[in-house]
Amino acid sequence: MLDAHAVTLSPAETFILNVSLLVIIGWSMWKAEKTLTPGNDAMVLVLLGAFAVSGRVLLDPLPNIQPVTAIVLLAGVHYGAARSTVLATTIALISNIFLGHGIWTLYQAAGWSLVGIAGSLLSDRMTLSGSISVSRVAAFSVAAAFLFDWVVSLSALHSFGAEMLPVYIISGIPFDILHASGNVFFVAWLSNPISEIMSRHNTRRTVVRETVALRS
Amino acid sequence: MSDLVALIALFVIITIVGASGRYGENRLKSLSVAWVLFLLITFPTLSTEWARMTSELVDDDEDSHYGLPDIWEGKQVVCFNFPEENAPEGYGGGRHHIDSDGTKFLTDSDWNGSGACIGGFSDFENGIELMDEAVMVSGGDFAYNSTQFSFGMQIDSIGWIEPCDAAPCPEDFSSGAYWGLYHNGQMALVGISDLPLEDDSVVTWKIETW
Repeated sequence: MLDAHAVTLSPAETFILNVSLLVIIGWSMWKAEKTLTPGNDAMVLVLLGAFAVSGRVLLDPLPNIQPVTAIVLLAGVHYGAARSTVLATTIALISNIFLGHGIWTLYQAAGWSLVGIAGSLLSDRMTLSGSISVSRVAAFSVAAAFLFDWVVSLSALHSFGAEMLPVYIISGIPFDILHASGNVFFVAWLSNPISEIMSRHNTRRTVVRETVALRS
Repeated sequence: MSDLVALIALFVIITIVGASGRYGENRLKSLSVAWVLFLLITFPTLSTEWARMTSELVDDDEDSHYGLPDIWEGKQVVCFNFPEENAPEGYGGGRHHIDSDGTKFLTDSDWNGSGACIGGFSDFENGIELMDEAVMVSGGDFAYNSTQFSFGMQIDSIGWIEPCDAAPCPEDFSSGAYWGLYHNGQMALVGISDLPLEDDSVVTWKIETW
């Protein structure tokens, strides 16, 4: 009997495959959104959630680089605390079905929810003349990486004492830096198109997407 | 540490070069790609250097790795202990630590003695193989001379220090000194060439007297 699936991929080949899948999902999401009637923010959240889950799962081989933080942050800015919390919690739960579910899921959901809530509270500062400010969102996404990672680090208290927490957090700083750089990457490349989609389907407020030159 | 400084300097250079470009809105896009690629490529070095810089000494005196850097837990280590006044040049003033790639880090100046531990090894099954690797990693600083007897190998000197350099060895043999071998804190019952290792073995040499 022929085993047509007996193909072993190298890590590099697997990564190329995963990125290709993510591009297909992103492109499909982009096309699917065009068919939505304006104001359908629930479906936009579903599509963004699917993209974030796919991104987190498919980019898992890269240490701490994933689009979830950037997407939750933008959801907070555009759709507010409540909906970004729903998005954050759902992404954490569904992606952990693939990556591993445990007590840390609660902390990840809390961490990403805090990022969304902070984005909501600072939404006025994330915009310039009514349009999203990529540089400001990018700057906040750096802080969001550390905020999220340190909240998730609290889950380590279930394993050892509080006196070890600072050591645990400090030892994870290289991973925090990678998370921050990944956030800047996703904000730089996705914040304008995602903000455009979110604004078009926003029933909460209007944040018009316009190209904003970076402020040095 | 020097690798970490070099990485930070390279990161700053990439940022300055990227930020000075006239790409307008795309400047952050190109910079973010450069940052992610740079950090991904250098991440193994970055995380190793950071781990060394932030490592702490194991403080559980029941642990065979007691007093050793915590990044070596679960790994194999060889320690060479010397009396303070007889330490090889560059290894006085406490216990020095050398990682398996030859990088020196974290000197424990409070340690009661001098010398060095060379660790972070894995998969060695025999004591002499691990010791030879540790000597090579140290750049030969702890090279040893030995005599092969019918009952096994005797270590005559380590780092050109003979036991009788550190303790009196009268010709009538009423007292003397030798290089004592310890495995996980216990005096070894066999010689180094016959010593079977565990995944986290700590092999220690120190001068003993009788």
